[in-house]
Amino acid sequence: MTAHEPPRSLETVDLTKSFGGVRAVDGATVTFRHGRINALIGPNGSGKTTFFNCVTGMIRPDAGTVTYRGQQITGRPPHRIARAGIGRSFQLCRVFPRMTVLENMLVAVRPAGLRDLVGGAGSPAETDKARRLLVRVGIDHLENVEAANLSYGQQKLLELAGVLMGDPDTIMLDEPAGGVNPALIGRIGTLIRELNDEGKTFLVVEHNMDMVMSLSHHVVVFDRGRPIAEGTPSAVRADPRVLEAYLGI
Amino acid sequence: MPNASDTERTLVAAATAPAGRRVPARAVRMLAFTVCAALILSWPGLAPNPYILSAGVMVASYACTATAWNFMGGFTGYVSLGHAAFFGLGAYGTGVLIRDLDWPPFAAWLAAGVIVVLITVPVGIAALRVRGASFVIVSIAFVLILLLVAQTWQDLTGGSDGLVVPRPFPDLSRPEHHRAFFYLFVALLAVMLLAWWAIDRSRFGTGLKAVREDEDKAQALGVPTRNYKLVAYLISAFFTGLSGGMYALWFGDLDPIFQFSVLLGAYMVLMALLGGVRHLYGPLLGALIVGGALEYFELEFGGTQLHLVAAAVLLGVVVLVTPDGIIPAVRDLVRRFGPQDSSIREMTAAELLAHNRASGRGGPPPDEAPDEAAAPGTGEER
Repeated sequence: MTAHEPPRSLETVDLTKSFGGVRAVDGATVTFRHGRINALIGPNGSGKTTFFNCVTGMIRPDAGTVTYRGQQITGRPPHRIARAGIGRSFQLCRVFPRMTVLENMLVAVRPAGLRDLVGGAGSPAETDKARRLLVRVGIDHLENVEAANLSYGQQKLLELAGVLMGDPDTIMLDEPAGGVNPALIGRIGTLIRELNDEGKTFLVVEHNMDMVMSLSHHVVVFDRGRPIAEGTPSAVRADPRVLEAYLGI
Repeated sequence: MPNASDTERTLVAAATAPAGRRVPARAVRMLAFTVCAALILSWPGLAPNPYILSAGVMVASYACTATAWNFMGGFTGYVSLGHAAFFGLGAYGTGVLIRDLDWPPFAAWLAAGVIVVLITVPVGIAALRVRGASFVIVSIAFVLILLLVAQTWQDLTGGSDGLVVPRPFPDLSRPEHHRAFFYLFVALLAVMLLAWWAIDRSRFGTGLKAVREDEDKAQALGVPTRNYKLVAYLISAFFTGLSGGMYALWFGDLDPIFQFSVLLGAYMVLMALLGGVRHLYGPLLGALIVGGALEYFELEFGGTQLHLVAAAVLLGVVVLVTPDGIIPAVRDLVRRFGPQDSSIREMTAAELLAHNRASGRGGPPPDEAPDEAAAPGTGEER
């Protein structure tokens, strides 16, 4: 790596996870750098989501290490990893359906020990912050509505706002453009770019190639559980290995 | 008294209605609360004979156990069928401390609650490693193990011969005894309801509800789910233990088969589900109905098993007709036939438009108004 590259943010070395006989992630060694919008692409079943889950602690990897800003986070419980500064969304958006939009936001407030047992769900400052984030994604008028009553697109925006509530440095999005209309894809893209300008590092799994190519600084291509190519969007697009794996050409 | 579901109940109203309309609703709620509380407190005076009075004490104890169960079941969605274990431990703990160590009755009662918590720590750590059906099975296993222990450990528990707990107020006549314990149970219930209300609005409660809705997601947002679940389990066990201890002091005769009974645990679940687990008063309402019915069947049909059939039918009806419980179902009915608010969807679309125009931002509307949204600022990505 050359000297002028930004510092390393998230790194994995030989990360491996098998389900039964299938090696979903197979010795993946990847480095994501700070301040970039990184994309993770690859055909279905290439291990992108499992990789995500290993990094965020939802699944314990069989072997290998995950390092975040120089700190070993392999095998830590998910809430610790979230606390370390990695926020994530889920493939097929997940919100808390029977809680209001504002309550959804306040879930991500940092616990304060025994004080959690008394007092309100969020301090005035935290509630203000939640409302500002809802304004930012454009669903602040729905704060008292149960999340189950939101449209799919609104739920996606709520999920993103909820992730932001925890002040993550690195935001991992699993298919942010999946199942939403083109207008909203554009809006989510703009949000990602704005947040990146504010210094957030992104790691985005996405199938929408237009979005990936226009948005990301760095693309990593997965196939059969490991990276087979990486580089700038244009370099990756021209790589014959990628064409073969991804497009089956 | 503000409660569990202010936010839910006024979901539409808060988003759309002017603030002034909520004040009468609050007044009505206060009035309803006062009337219900007065009715409950005057029960010993209304009961025509000591037998009916004792049935009231029984129902009050059911209300306590169901509400205690709901600290776990309602907040986290972890359905425990084995809460009778804590009830039995509290009851036997109280009885043994009084009989063998001569402790003052209510000191023994509190100490037994603490003992239940200490025993529950390792049990909870183990049981909460699993979710869903597995947790249900583990909870049943726990109560069955304790049943065997209590039956076999004759020296401590008296086994199937039973354990006689000395009465705490030896000077009181039987009706006076019932009356005193009715108020004690109601006081315990009031403490529990207050605690439930405080947790419901707290950060801890928000985390627990997030666990109920989607545990993985809650973890990913930084909620220490394991610790939160364990604390909720301990609180639930503590109050269930206190209910059991209070029962021991009142009833005075313990038999393992009744204290460590899966059926008792199932009643707690049925009561809470019937009233509505997401609501402060859900388990209380369920206990009034189920407990009242159980006492009625006992009175009318004596030793028959008809009450079991009735409970099973009731469970079926709950699951089929009001899966969320009576309180949410009634609230929906009131909302349907009450003053009409616009549907949420309509409101949001209209508000969204106004909102967008006001803020001059073209972006937001995901599904409702894609055409409008497509205009500015989105072309570059595509």
